[in-house]
Amino acid sequence: MGKVSAKPVLFANSIPAQAPMDPEMTNSSASEAVAIGAAKRTPEVIARRVRGLSDRAIAWLFIAPTIVLLLAINVFPLIWTVYLSFTNYKANRAARGVEWVGLDNYRRVLTDSDIWHNMLVTGHFLLWTMTFQVLIGFGLAWLINKNFKGHGVWTTVILLPMMLSPAVVGNFWTFLYQPQIGLFNYIVGFFTGVDPSSFEMIGSVNLAPWAIVIVDTWMWTPYVMLICLAGLRSIPDYIYEAAEVDGAGPLRTFWSITLPMVLPFLMLAVLFRAIENFKMFDLVVELTSGGPGSVTELASINLKREAFEKWRTGLSSAFAIILFVTVFGAANIYVKALNRVKQR
Amino acid sequence: MANVSLRNIDKSFGETKAVRNVTFEVAKGEFLVLLGPTGAGKTTTLRLVAGLEKPDAGSVLIDGADVTSAAPASRDVAFVFQQYSLYPHLSVYDNLAFPLRSPARRMPEDEIRSRIEAVAGMLRIGGKLQNRSTKLSGGEMQRVAIGRALVRRPAIYLMDEPLSSLDAKLRADLRLELKRIQRDLGATILYVTHDQIEAMTMADRIGILSEGRLVQVGSPREIYADPDNVYVAARLGQPSINVLPLGALPVRSAPRTAYSVGVRTEHLDISRDGGPGANARLDWVEHLGDQNHLHIRLGDHRLTILAQPGTDLSAGEALRIEAANPLFFDEDGRRIR
Repeated sequence: MGKVSAKPVLFANSIPAQAPMDPEMTNSSASEAVAIGAAKRTPEVIARRVRGLSDRAIAWLFIAPTIVLLLAINVFPLIWTVYLSFTNYKANRAARGVEWVGLDNYRRVLTDSDIWHNMLVTGHFLLWTMTFQVLIGFGLAWLINKNFKGHGVWTTVILLPMMLSPAVVGNFWTFLYQPQIGLFNYIVGFFTGVDPSSFEMIGSVNLAPWAIVIVDTWMWTPYVMLICLAGLRSIPDYIYEAAEVDGAGPLRTFWSITLPMVLPFLMLAVLFRAIENFKMFDLVVELTSGGPGSVTELASINLKREAFEKWRTGLSSAFAIILFVTVFGAANIYVKALNRVKQR
Repeated sequence: MANVSLRNIDKSFGETKAVRNVTFEVAKGEFLVLLGPTGAGKTTTLRLVAGLEKPDAGSVLIDGADVTSAAPASRDVAFVFQQYSLYPHLSVYDNLAFPLRSPARRMPEDEIRSRIEAVAGMLRIGGKLQNRSTKLSGGEMQRVAIGRALVRRPAIYLMDEPLSSLDAKLRADLRLELKRIQRDLGATILYVTHDQIEAMTMADRIGILSEGRLVQVGSPREIYADPDNVYVAARLGQPSINVLPLGALPVRSAPRTAYSVGVRTEHLDISRDGGPGANARLDWVEHLGDQNHLHIRLGDHRLTILAQPGTDLSAGEALRIEAANPLFFDEDGRRIR
């Protein structure tokens, strides 16, 4: 690639961009022509400044803003959080002075029964959302892959919930869950004969954990379906035909051809969804705000309360680091397993 | 092993008639090759025997039993696809074991093992059994695919251009091996190809397909020496037969209804003739090493014929050409015997 040439240009904008081009011109010389054209049109003021810079220097110039931004809003806060987690810093009383407390915050987080309760709630939420989304998502993908008439329309319809904002979804599901007027309660009542106003999905200690599982499943199953569908579509027809001639029935074909070949895709979908759901905040806050009591208080909701309602900045930093290490470690182990599946 | 017969099979895909009224029989232990260009209906015929397609009319019989509407699994056929249709998530061993582990067979694992080892030895993939099937070379993959058919010992092996995706050398090697294995096992094979060398070297009988019709069936020798029409004559022979209008070439005696005359390269008498008897001129000589192709101009026509590597003819020379053993065809391209 040519360097940016910085010859003095008198009529900066009036010179046509095309260098002499014949139709047989190769790709690289075509892009070179574009580069030369661009250089010619560079105003003299700027051209003088970049004159003599190497390609590498110019490349750095282009990515510098992004790097600065990343350092400022990702890397620096991470390091700062690690530091704060060893102090008794309180963000609302910054003037008080900061004291180094060593591992105290970590000890307090790990022995706090409320936080362990949050972790259990998060675990329950993760386990069941993943189970339902995998089963329903794979089932839907399998059906859509049958290429029945109008499957394109159905795919679009199924994908709709995923396109909505989590806050919107959380908010309107509070209406669907209304005991008196909610559609959800009405439908459950219609099919089971239970009186719709006799149960409260959000208000009941027993049902609220399931209420958030249902909404998340409703919203994110399409995502799992989409990735499964890509997996199913990647299996060529002749593999199925070979299996058919080899005497494999539909059941054996499913267990020993379809499922193993879709498994890497399925595992990838679960990885993405599990990481997202471990951090789940907006949907559940809109829906239940962690209640009733704290039965739907996920780790991230409590973290936000510790940090920005109780202002225990040091403690919540330690909490955040623990969550980060947990999800990072788990994801790493999982990716190793995923690679093993992919290499079979 | 069993004999397989097709009776008056018709098959269309929409407006396209893929197979038209095809009838033939593969005898027990026979290697039958269907030869034809792309789109002649070869693969469709094979898939009809396998049960991957259902015929619109006609019937398929395996060992006398009508299996026209039977599912592929219940037909006892093995299919080798043009693509290496291995199960990518399974090892070579598990690929070979897949058809044997069918619940309908209930074959004990030690018998599966002994069969696989025998077949792997035959195909020289014994050292690769624990490899992942996607980590093999193209030739090895196709051996495994053939092996997956061989372990089954089915009524018939159906092979859809199994060697076409391999390079020339590998193709020649596997061709010989396949023929040897077929002889050793006494296997019945229905084999589809567009490669005339494969057909000539492996087949007990060749069936020539054109636009869904079976034009002629016979031994390679018959098909080559005694073709029923111009189309069949042109399918075999390299360089291919020269077809000229009657009169363009001196022939000793032509039948009354003859319209064109076909001469294979070995059926031409060529002599150097600088005198008035000359009727042709040598345009150029193509040197292929083990043989030479002579491109000859005969009046308004061009001929390509084979010459010995030691030929002393050179471009520009005047020649006298006479047909020694020509094939005559009528106006519709039918052979006049």
